Amino acid sequence: MKKTVRIKINGKTYEAEEGESILSVCNRENIDIPNLCFNEALAPYGACRLCMVEVVNGPGKKGMTTSCTLEAVEGLEVVTDTEQIVKYRNVLFELYLAQAPNSEEIKEMAAKYGVTKTRFAKKAKPLDPLGNKCVLCGQCVRVCDEIMGTAAINYIGRGFHTKINTPYLEKNDACMGCGACAEVCPTGAIQMEDIYDKRIMKSWSGTEVKLKKCKSCGRYFAPEPIAEFAYAKLDPEIKEELKDLCPDCRRKLLSRKEILISQGEVSKNED
Amino acid sequence: MKIKTLQDLENVRKAGIKKLFPDKPRIAVGLATCGIAAGGQDVYEALETALKKKGVNAFLTKTGCFGICNEEPLVNIAMPGKPLVILHKVQKEDAESIAEKVAKGKLPEEKALCKIEEWDHITSEKPFFYGKGYENIPLWNEIPYFKPQKKVVLRDAGIINPEDIEEYIAVGGYSAVYKALTKMTPDEVVEEVKKSGLRGRGGAGFPTGLKWEFTKKEKSDVKYVICNADEGDPGAYMNRNEMESDPHMVIEGMIIGAYAIGASEGFIYVRAEYPLAIERLKLAIKQAKEYGLLGEHIFGTEFSFDIRIATGAGAFVCGEETALIASIEGKPGRPRPRPPFPAQKGLWEKPTNINNVETWCNIAPIIKKGGEWFSRIGIERNTGTKVFSLVGKVNKVGLVEVPLGTTINEIVCHIGGCGIKSKEIKAVQTGGPSGGCIPRNLFDTPIDYDHLKEVGSIMGSGGLVVMDEDTCMVDTAKYFLSFTVDESCGKCVPCREGLKRMYDILEKITDGRGTEEDLGILDELAHTIKATSLCGLGQTAPNPVITTIKYFKDEYMEHIKNKVCPARVCRALIDYFIVPDKCKGCTICAKNCPVGAIDGGPGLIHIIDQSKCIACGTCMDVCPFDAVVKLSGEKIDTPDKPIPVKKGR
Repeated sequence: MKKTVRIKINGKTYEAEEGESILSVCNRENIDIPNLCFNEALAPYGACRLCMVEVVNGPGKKGMTTSCTLEAVEGLEVVTDTEQIVKYRNVLFELYLAQAPNSEEIKEMAAKYGVTKTRFAKKAKPLDPLGNKCVLCGQCVRVCDEIMGTAAINYIGRGFHTKINTPYLEKNDACMGCGACAEVCPTGAIQMEDIYDKRIMKSWSGTEVKLKKCKSCGRYFAPEPIAEFAYAKLDPEIKEELKDLCPDCRRKLLSRKEILISQGEVSKNED
Repeated sequence: MKIKTLQDLENVRKAGIKKLFPDKPRIAVGLATCGIAAGGQDVYEALETALKKKGVNAFLTKTGCFGICNEEPLVNIAMPGKPLVILHKVQKEDAESIAEKVAKGKLPEEKALCKIEEWDHITSEKPFFYGKGYENIPLWNEIPYFKPQKKVVLRDAGIINPEDIEEYIAVGGYSAVYKALTKMTPDEVVEEVKKSGLRGRGGAGFPTGLKWEFTKKEKSDVKYVICNADEGDPGAYMNRNEMESDPHMVIEGMIIGAYAIGASEGFIYVRAEYPLAIERLKLAIKQAKEYGLLGEHIFGTEFSFDIRIATGAGAFVCGEETALIASIEGKPGRPRPRPPFPAQKGLWEKPTNINNVETWCNIAPIIKKGGEWFSRIGIERNTGTKVFSLVGKVNKVGLVEVPLGTTINEIVCHIGGCGIKSKEIKAVQTGGPSGGCIPRNLFDTPIDYDHLKEVGSIMGSGGLVVMDEDTCMVDTAKYFLSFTVDESCGKCVPCREGLKRMYDILEKITDGRGTEEDLGILDELAHTIKATSLCGLGQTAPNPVITTIKYFKDEYMEHIKNKVCPARVCRALIDYFIVPDKCKGCTICAKNCPVGAIDGGPGLIHIIDQSKCIACGTCMDVCPFDAVVKLSGEKIDTPDKPIPVKKGR
């Protein structure tokens, strides 16, 4: 088991697991810190720079740093909203407002911290597959790689011209259509749509993923690669009769069986 | 042969000495990239042909760069028992006469730049004595360019053949490895480096011994050492020259470092744009393996170590250590937050020690002569020497090695010989795009890690770009930002978005559209980026802007308020005029104008149509009578239409 340490945030003492990210602690303790690139499921990344705190005491370096990459150690003391942090954070919000002018989420977050306008020219690429909403926090890239092990999308180019998409902006067979990218995106930039038997990853160069048809009711219910991916992971193996059933039909089948068992019409061991 | 014992090393040393001091004239052509660019390869080939044709019994070989790039191609000649003479500006046409003179036991004295009677390679047991003579040729350290210099890193550069391990061993090479491996414990090696006070030469100046100690303390089955040779600052080429002129000193330093921290493998991460450095490093590694100085059981001890080369693919940010590690691992070169530091989790998650090329170059002398000896060079807390590449608008350009603490003035004015065509020097930019511009009135600042920081700049890897009255400081800041905007990896928002916004504002100012409010935004952005960026690139990229605003605010204000570029550089703010009294009506300017903005004809005074002119400056370049002037915020009277040139002029 991990050691518990005591840390101070804004003068108040909290308990944390040693090595735990300070941002996690703040999230748990309802201490408000804005952030875009942090996700508990992913390795700390330190790219959005919004979660800056000031280390005022502790064994390591003092000064401003990102709380997502700052690890809890005994005696650490941080302050989350110094005048300096607020000042710099406001400039960062202005940069975000200019970078992703169409994102309501960004507007909302910035407004929450009092930034409603930007002094910088707004980016407005008419054909942006991410609708001028992407802030390059990289959560989609990382979830696809770190969690799904797929790495169907990545950064293209560098600096101001960095974008995220599939290699060579071509449809990518590697994509399983799981939609984790859209799920984690903090700005609602990633578009996908299910049309009949296909899932179209609109933001990812129109990548198409076949959907699986329910063998009972006939509706398309999940991307084929994802179903296979999940079946392969199950241990013990999925029962043949449950395979290729949509969640509704699977539930129906199981319920019906339970009823039959309870009525004594079939024995428990029959299947 | 494999060197296993001190006697083996001694035998190779003797063989090397025979090459450095043959019983016939030794002619060495400076063939680092700078020498080759100046025509050194042609000189080498011409000399080869001429010597053969005339049947001269001489030993022709190649060497690295002696540092005085203005005077390239350099050729050095040593007659047995006579001083080593450095010839400068040698052309291939000179080969025949050189061969003829050498055949008669003479020297082409008219080509001589300086002579060396005695040379201290530092790693050798005692200095080498060439001989006395040639009274008319000055000693090398008597000429102003070299006088204040002290060669520790460049101890062999331009003297030995970088492609021959035997010559390196002849000047005491690898004897420091022998000493470390057989007479010192790893702890003692670390202690010696700590005692020397050596600080990282990549620019940040972190104490090297301490860094080694961190990596040494980590417990791991595998550890790595890395040589950071991803030199990329505009105008800086110290590391390139160090690798091209003396690759074995890098390898020797790495072997000692690896022994100290307990690493079994090393990488040299060198940018692909340095093909000759890569070639010579590869050759040096191959030779070191052949001689048993890399590989299993070096000097018959339990210590084994090998080095591989990894080449960069053109990203400046890969000079940042975490990005560099990612790049070696085959991932995109993007930095990650520290801690964990590479000393804890580096290459493939293993403890890794990364040092700059020049840091490694200092290790062998420290081990050979002791940390105490090293700490006496330079000033307190800034010990040793530093190699700078002195470039820009200065009379003498080249590689300069001086003790830390030498003033800017000493380097720019005494070594560099001040401005070209006696133009007034305005500033010097240190530390590349991460550094700052230091104005003339601060030229008595000693160059060391701490003083440079005080004036808002950084040491960086050692680029010194000199600027004179024709340099616009706003344009300079814009140039450096265009570089960092291009090279930002794009991971974190301040660097990726913020720098581009700063660049846009600077462009607005140089276009004459800037406002005073813009200066405020620029300042706000600069400080935000410095404080919030993830890695060193972003944290230092605003420095050129911050320092130029601090020291040259009047120039910014001229651009903003009066729409004037005092240095007459910013195109949008300058106009070209043809001075009627000077124009002879030759039509050359009109013929060369790319946009047809010049009206005139044979024998007529030419006039530039300001509405069409794009301020490219072609007319000024081609006018044989200096009749074209460049002005900013001023005008001269010109006729409304071309009128005949007055007769009799």
